[in-house]
Amino acid sequence: MGRSYPRIVGANREPSWIFFEALLPLLGIAAYVFVYQAFGSRAIDAIMTSTASAPWGICGDHACLNAAEQAAERARALANTNALIASVVLGGTMVAFWLNVLWSMASQLYWEKEIGNLQLYMMAPMNRMALLGGMAVGGMVMTSMRAVSTLVAGILVFGVIFQVVDPLMLLAVFFTALIALYGLGMMFASLYLLWGREAWNLSALMEEPIFFSSGFYFPVGGLFRVPGWGPIIAIIGSFVPATFGLDALRQLTLSSTAFGGQLWIFDVKTELYILVFMAVLFLILARYSLRYLETLAKREGKLTSRHQ
Amino acid sequence: MPYAVETRDLTRIFAGKKKRRIRRKRASSEGEDHLGPVTALDQVSIQIRDGELFGMLGPNGAGKTTLIKILATLLLPTSGQAFVAGHDVAKDPFPIRQRINMVSGGETSGYGLLTARENVWMFSQFYGVPSKVSKGRIDELMHTFGLWDKRDAKVRMLSTGQRQKMNMIRGFVTDPDILFLDEPTLGLDVNAARVIREYITNWVRSQEGKTVLLTTHYMAEADQMCDRIAIIDNGKILACDTPSNLKRMIRTETTFRLEVDTIRDTTSFTMMQGVKNFSHKNDIGTNRSHLTFILEDEGPVAEILSTITSQGSKVHSLQKSEPTLEDVFISMVGRGFD
Amino acid sequence: MNTFWRTFKVAAWLGWEMDSNWTEPWLFMVYSVVKPVAGAFILVLMYTVFAFIGNRQDPAAFSYMYVGNSFFIFVGSVLFGTFQVIQSDREWYQTIRYVYISPISYYVYIVGRAVSKVGVAAFAVAITLVFGIAFLGIQVHLTLEAIPLFVASMLLGLAVLLAIGICLGGISFLTAKHTHGLAEGIPGLFYVFCGVLFPLSILPSWGQAIGQAIPLTYWFDITRRLLAPTLGVDTTLAGYSDVTIMVLLVVSSVGFFGLSLLIFKTGEYFARKAGKIDMTTSY
Repeated sequence: MGRSYPRIVGANREPSWIFFEALLPLLGIAAYVFVYQAFGSRAIDAIMTSTASAPWGICGDHACLNAAEQAAERARALANTNALIASVVLGGTMVAFWLNVLWSMASQLYWEKEIGNLQLYMMAPMNRMALLGGMAVGGMVMTSMRAVSTLVAGILVFGVIFQVVDPLMLLAVFFTALIALYGLGMMFASLYLLWGREAWNLSALMEEPIFFSSGFYFPVGGLFRVPGWGPIIAIIGSFVPATFGLDALRQLTLSSTAFGGQLWIFDVKTELYILVFMAVLFLILARYSLRYLETLAKREGKLTSRHQ
Repeated sequence: MPYAVETRDLTRIFAGKKKRRIRRKRASSEGEDHLGPVTALDQVSIQIRDGELFGMLGPNGAGKTTLIKILATLLLPTSGQAFVAGHDVAKDPFPIRQRINMVSGGETSGYGLLTARENVWMFSQFYGVPSKVSKGRIDELMHTFGLWDKRDAKVRMLSTGQRQKMNMIRGFVTDPDILFLDEPTLGLDVNAARVIREYITNWVRSQEGKTVLLTTHYMAEADQMCDRIAIIDNGKILACDTPSNLKRMIRTETTFRLEVDTIRDTTSFTMMQGVKNFSHKNDIGTNRSHLTFILEDEGPVAEILSTITSQGSKVHSLQKSEPTLEDVFISMVGRGFD
Repeated sequence: MNTFWRTFKVAAWLGWEMDSNWTEPWLFMVYSVVKPVAGAFILVLMYTVFAFIGNRQDPAAFSYMYVGNSFFIFVGSVLFGTFQVIQSDREWYQTIRYVYISPISYYVYIVGRAVSKVGVAAFAVAITLVFGIAFLGIQVHLTLEAIPLFVASMLLGLAVLLAIGICLGGISFLTAKHTHGLAEGIPGLFYVFCGVLFPLSILPSWGQAIGQAIPLTYWFDITRRLLAPTLGVDTTLAGYSDVTIMVLLVVSSVGFFGLSLLIFKTGEYFARKAGKIDMTTSY
């Protein structure tokens, strides 16, 4: 509670964060939405354009046989494009939480070290995970603003339609994924105690690979259908809770039949069980790694070294 | 010839935010009114001559740092004027910056990935100091301030005190004409602080045209170093004079205590001109007399000593007690430093 | 002039030291290569998934997107590198007051600090393009005759970016520490409206109008024209000749330079007035 206070109050006293953290990131998501629209538009042009060799247009890898197939192909292309756009919007919502975990929690100990507060926290008789949890909760205020603005913009501006059939399951998946993510973030935080700016740069380095290996902007199940490197990337990404979280959330909001049902990893229940396991595992690992790395950092004098 | 530093009715007000004004309304109804606009400087007028080591003494929040920031061209005044080396700080900052430098105390600034030497060298280049000259100065200053062993250490590996020394070197390496020192010995150990004070004093005295404005809340530091001191509180200058004149302001007498060989004839002391009061006590065990003189000024001291020695007595100790700067401050403000 | 050059040189040295000194050289090289390629990979995978579910390839659209995204690395790096100078010197290193009161042009100091970012970005762009050509079948074909025009357009584009970055820097004198939001959000404007990943024609008409008012749109267009002349993807700017676009870039460079001076000086003035030059805002 104590650690979340400066986060919330500080945000209130410097309200420029609303513009920078909540509204501007919408633009990146809009770009990906338009990318899919561009692909979809060109695909539909190819389907609807009549040529000498394909009087009913191109249906995938062959010429459409007749008007009915052309219309069906067009409808399928449109549905897939819309589902991909909805995936981007949902992924953009989760990005907000992932970045909160990665930059506001995992990196926070590094920033605290830089401004000289870390030693004060470390001296105080409080649980380290509670400290990080407080930071995360405090950041949740900003993150929720960003997530809500993304969802609302997606629905209003891009005409995205979400069909939530099982709201309880949706909430269960969402919160379990978040807890697992925060557990992972706490493990990263312990690295920062030791590595300082190197860890910060590694985090920056990891940010985008996580985006694509976890399928923030596309259904990651598609990677399993790409021969060769696709499944490898998907398996690496599956160690991040956001991967299964997003996959389950998409199934629950777009229906499991979207994309012809071909692009999901597992069914929702299985993914929920995996997330529960990850949450428990990461929190336990975080507890031990924080303790171990704090001791190591103290021994090597890195707990208070600044401007690394 | 213009002053090195001159301010005329200089005022600086920091406006509070709307929410704070609402809180102030609520707070003032409860008898407190401390959240509204803050007047950090209130019609401050001072003149600092070339070659002067000028001190500014005051508690935390008195306005010392605000004044230095305005003079260093970091901050604009709300009203009034300030001139450094004859140039207006608000209208003409560039020529000022060529002739000044600033060091703040108790801070840990620095590019952690650079070495101490690189940090200082870099700043010297901004001031146009030729690289070779700069390196020579840096080496000399590092020796002087005891940072030679850490010259090639990355700043992130330096202790607080070492960083402060590095920042002091940064202040001197550009050989400024006017140096602003904002509590420069804050956070330093006794030895380091002593070295820095000595260096500052020598630097001003040994070179013509070097001026220092030093802010501090260490009385002894101001008393020991400064040619003149301004006492500031709540943004106002309460007094500005030499340390001895400031002390004289609150007491016109001086007390002298002497320990001498037993003296028999003390009548002549009471009749001496300038002696307001006199008392003595003989200590039979040590065969000594303890004499206490209350004098209007130090004028009669020579005659007193002559009278003592003419009676064949030897002076074993002489103590002069006079008001301290803290006494001066308390008498002016009604409280000590917080 | 001597002061400007000296300031620029020292600031550029400092910028390079800050960017490269945080780790071992080999890790720095890995970081400089992996990060930009990973950034491009999101788009590669988005295209791959789309092609898979539609059972259809569109190499022209893919090349269009990939080339645009590669050069967008300059936008993110230069903009971020320019406006974060003030933020980092103020909040992290806490040296801003000492740099500010030294007899230099703070404007030139920021440009110098940003130059190392340009160098690192150029390396990243080259790596990304080479990767795309070698492994992803990207169609790039820069003729010898086009090289002078390409170099000139690159210089003008970078000049515009530096000027825009300094405009943001001038604003950041007065804002709290939100570099991450700014780093993602401001370039995001250009990402959407400048025809980086998709033709302007995909945007609604008001979006196209915005795009055509931003000089970077023309910069991306001419870069693609010179590097990949055979793409044939409608860019809505087909009516503009190469010469017209270059003139537009020159005019906008000058215009943004003037604007950057105005915004920078204004931001600096208000920050100095409010006592915010050396404020810290971490929470």
